[in-house]
Amino acid sequence: MRDESLTPAIQAIDICKSYPGSPPVEALKNESLSINDNEFFTLLGPSGCGKTTLLRLIAGFEDLTSGELRLYGEDISSMPPEKRPINTVFQHYALFPHMTVVENVAFGLRRRGTDVSQAQKTALEMLDLVQMSQFANRRPSQLSGGQQQRVSLARALAPHPKVLLLDEPLSALDLKLRQSMRTELKRLQRETGITFVFVTHDQEEALSMSDRIAVMSAGRVQQIASPSEIYEQPRNRFVADFIGDANFFQGKVTHQNGNTARFRISPEIEIAARTENTPPAGDVTLFVRPEKLDLLTSATSETLPGDVREISYLGNTTDYAIDLRNGPSIVVRSENHHNGDALALPGDAVHVGIDPSAVRVLEA
Amino acid sequence: MPKSRDIRALPGLKWFSLGFFVYLYLPLLILVIFSFNATKSATVWGGFSLDWYAKALANDDIRRAAWNSLVIATTATVFSTTMATMAALSLTRNKSLPRKPLFNGMLLLPLMVPEIVTAVATLTLFATIGLSLGLGNIIIAHTVFCIPFAYLPIRARLQGMDESLETAARDLYASKWATLRFVTLPLLAPGIVSGAMLAFIISIDDFIITLMVAEAGSTTLPIYIYSLVRIGITPEVNAVSTVLLIISIFFVTLSYLVEKRGKF
Repeated sequence: MRDESLTPAIQAIDICKSYPGSPPVEALKNESLSINDNEFFTLLGPSGCGKTTLLRLIAGFEDLTSGELRLYGEDISSMPPEKRPINTVFQHYALFPHMTVVENVAFGLRRRGTDVSQAQKTALEMLDLVQMSQFANRRPSQLSGGQQQRVSLARALAPHPKVLLLDEPLSALDLKLRQSMRTELKRLQRETGITFVFVTHDQEEALSMSDRIAVMSAGRVQQIASPSEIYEQPRNRFVADFIGDANFFQGKVTHQNGNTARFRISPEIEIAARTENTPPAGDVTLFVRPEKLDLLTSATSETLPGDVREISYLGNTTDYAIDLRNGPSIVVRSENHHNGDALALPGDAVHVGIDPSAVRVLEA
Repeated sequence: MPKSRDIRALPGLKWFSLGFFVYLYLPLLILVIFSFNATKSATVWGGFSLDWYAKALANDDIRRAAWNSLVIATTATVFSTTMATMAALSLTRNKSLPRKPLFNGMLLLPLMVPEIVTAVATLTLFATIGLSLGLGNIIIAHTVFCIPFAYLPIRARLQGMDESLETAARDLYASKWATLRFVTLPLLAPGIVSGAMLAFIISIDDFIITLMVAEAGSTTLPIYIYSLVRIGITPEVNAVSTVLLIISIFFVTLSYLVEKRGKF
């Protein structure tokens, strides 16, 4: 028997999906990606980026326009959804309103041919797993949104699918519930050992739960990497901009010394950046996260002078929008300490410290 | 009495509405009251009695007509509801079916065609092909005009139904047929029942088309009542009409309750 842990759970090879129309809408453009066994994999992107289309293709709700989909090495491209050992947790739960909670959870098992008593038993175990066993005989309409979401999870996990797809399952829940469900999902993934493919537009969700994230935009995967790599080393401007906040500069390299290069970002301002390989000679995009900048009251050799334009208080941090003298404007995020007083007020002259290791050069 | 400060209240509407309901229900009320009249007059009250109901019940012609009506309405309801359900399923769920608005319009058009036109057309058709199935002729004609009535509530129910439920069923290893049987039809049931009741009412009450296509011996209740009225209105007619009225109210109420209970 093939060792399944070495074969990718899902392998997409040059898959395309376009919808008829004039011109046809290309929801996915020639995408190839692999999702590993026992992985919490997240598809992250703004609405219309193709992430839900990819999920529906994996589930079998849509037909591929071209390309091939494999599940543990087996071609499932033309397999109807009921034949795929893949289950889905729907955004709006999609619980059957005419069945009780336990009947909902047993549905998949029953359709697969499990006998009534065994299906009932497994369904109750699943409800136990999501702490919903006391509601087994209720109707879905008698449950709150969070409870319905748990039932929907139990229903999708009950037939023990090889891959579980989650289509923005937390988006309809309120903030506190959403946060506790994140831990819960992560726990379920660990305990069941099932490969999870999670779709979301919420970067916090993606960063906090995933083993790997695929950032998507305009029908293409922009980058696949671990959450910290996505945040710290975004491959392009879209990824850097979509995840977290970022300051961008256009600049040209002036000189290079070892692995540090200097870039001119305005006629009078140069900043240093750590680079792994030789930066291209032409215009490049530099980016730096606002929280990696320092707001100082006195100048040193590596600081840039500027004036505070406005400040926004965000609770644990404050954002300072600063116009650099003879240069672009920049946002510095600073943690609020002590009594929460601002470090500077609009109109104050300040100095911004930029550590070269915090500045990154982006692809094109 | 203080003037109403409710900005939505329109002056005089209350009395207008009252007049409207009196106009609508007074004749029905009089019909029902005089069905219990002890004398043979349909206009002068002569005391309470159930004689006319007993008399109507004992009348073989009335019993035969009522039986015919029931057989026709039941059969036409079953046929038309089945077809309406299939039409609604394919017009709301079949993604690849082209020109849905056209088909939908064609299904509903009979609601707007003058009944007399349909009646003449049906009669001509039956005469041309020499169809002579007794009650069968009426059942076929009724099935046809009941379809749009049955179709409307079924389609409304399907349109209000979350398609992701059917997707979820397919996701959970249910084939197309299993999805229809375990998810779509149970959820659609209130719409189907409601459509069937409507079809039944429309069929049992039909006069023009039935009159045209009915052969000798296939007299239905509305046609029999009409023939009685031509001789002269007696409280017997009132009694039969009251029974028909009660049947209608019963089914309409049932249809309403089923639809209300089955809300998602």
